[in-house]
Amino acid sequence: MQVPSLRFPGLVIAAFLAITCFDISTGLEHWPFGSYPMYSLLYSDQLTWLRFYGVTDRGEVPLRGERDFAPFDEARLIMALQRLEGAPAANQKLTAALGNLMQLYNRAAARRRPASPPLRALRLYTVRWPLQPGVTGTEAPRERSLVAQANRDDNRDEAAP
Amino acid sequence: MIPAFTQPSRAEDLAWVRVVSYSLLFAIYLPLDDRAWTQVSPVFWMPISFFRFLPGPPRNAALIGALEILWKASLLTSAIGLLSRASMLTAAALGYFLLGLPNCFGKIHHLDGFPVVLLIILAVSRCADSWSVDRAMRRRQIPNDRKSAAAVSWQYGWPIRLAQALFLLIFFAAGFSKLRQSGFAWMTAANMRSIWLGELFTHIPPTRIGSYLAQSPGLCRFAAVSTVIIELSALPALFFRRLRVLTLVALLGMQTLIALMLGVYFTPHLAGYALFLPWHRYAKFCATRRARHGLCLS
Repeated sequence: MQVPSLRFPGLVIAAFLAITCFDISTGLEHWPFGSYPMYSLLYSDQLTWLRFYGVTDRGEVPLRGERDFAPFDEARLIMALQRLEGAPAANQKLTAALGNLMQLYNRAAARRRPASPPLRALRLYTVRWPLQPGVTGTEAPRERSLVAQANRDDNRDEAAP
Repeated sequence: MIPAFTQPSRAEDLAWVRVVSYSLLFAIYLPLDDRAWTQVSPVFWMPISFFRFLPGPPRNAALIGALEILWKASLLTSAIGLLSRASMLTAAALGYFLLGLPNCFGKIHHLDGFPVVLLIILAVSRCADSWSVDRAMRRRQIPNDRKSAAAVSWQYGWPIRLAQALFLLIFFAAGFSKLRQSGFAWMTAANMRSIWLGELFTHIPPTRIGSYLAQSPGLCRFAAVSTVIIELSALPALFFRRLRVLTLVALLGMQTLIALMLGVYFTPHLAGYALFLPWHRYAKFCATRRARHGLCLS
C-alpha cells in the first residue's frame, strides 16, 4: 500500500500556524490571517467620529455609509477618511474622496424610488457625543466641526479653520 | 488537537465538511457584489497582502461581475465534487480576490478572513475522495476502484483539525489583542459601556439592547470580563474537548449578542462553527439510509 507523503500537508500546517502565531504575537495583519484587534482599544465616555451631511435645498441632512455611500459601510468609510486625514497631501486627497463620495451618493439617490434630490454639497464634520447611560443613538451630536466640503459645481473643498 | 493532526479520519467525514462548508459559503456570499468598488476613487485604494502587487484598484465592473459568477459557480461545483480540484482551487483563488478586495479600501473587516483560509485548506486537501460526482463517475469507469467512503487515513483528518485550530485561534487572538493593547483596563464597566453605546451611533443595530444593558454597571463589568475569558479560553480549548464545546457555545452566544447589540454580523463564521459538528454521526445515519434505499453515490 502506498503511504502518502506527509511533506505537503506538514508544510501547509506549519505555514498556517506560523503565520497565525506571528500575527497574534506581533499584532500585525497578513490578511486573511490577522491579530483580530477589533474593539481592543480603551473607549472614552465621549465618542468622536466623522459624519457626513448632505446639503440639499431644504438644508443639511445627516448621511450614513451603508445607506448613502455604497459599497462603503460606515466603519470602513470613516476609517478610510481618518487614514486620508493623516496621510501626506491630506487636503487634496480629502477633496478627491469627497468628490467621489458625492458621485456615489448621487448615483444611489437617482436609483431610489422615489428618487432623492441630488446634493448641492457634501460636508464632512468631526462630531462628538457623550456616551451616557440612556442614549439611543438617535441624539444629535453635542459638538461638531467642519473638516472638509465638496460642492456639486466645483467640487472644491473648504477645510475648516 | 495540534498533536492530533496526523490521526486518521474517514474520507466521508472530510467529504461532509466539504459539502457543508462550500454550501454554507455559497449561501452566505450569494448576495456578494463587488462591482461597485470599481466606481470608488483610487484615492481610497489602500491595498493589503497580495493586492499590493496590483497596479491599482480594478476598474472593470463587467470583469468583476464575471469573476463573481465564476466564483459562486465554483463554490457549488466544489460542494457537489464536480471537477473537484479545479473547482476548489478556483473557489480559493477567486475567494481570496473577491473577499479581499473590499478590505483594500480603508479597513480590514475581520469577517471574511477565515472563510478564505478554509477555502485554501479544502482546496489542497483530499476532501473530494468521497461523496462527490467525480468519485461516482470514476467508480462507474473503474468498478473495482479500491477507494471508498470508509477509507481511513490521516489525509482526511488534518484539514479538519487545522481549520478547527485556526478558527479557535481567531478568538484567542481577539482576546489577546485586548489585553496587549489595553491591559486589564479593558475589562472595566466604563469601557464596555462605551463600546455598547458608541456602536449605537456608528452602526445600525437591529435592537436597542445595548442601550438598555449599558445602564447596569455590574452587567457591563460582567460582560467585559466574560468576553476576555471566553476568547482566551479558545487556546486551551484546542487541547481539551469538553472545554472546546463550552467555549464554542459561549462564542456563538457572544457573536449572536454582538449582532443584536452592535449590528456587527459574523455570519461567515458559521462555516467555522460547522466544522465542529459531529458529521461522522450524520454520515453514519446517511449510510444506514443509503443501505436501506440501495443508493450508491459514494
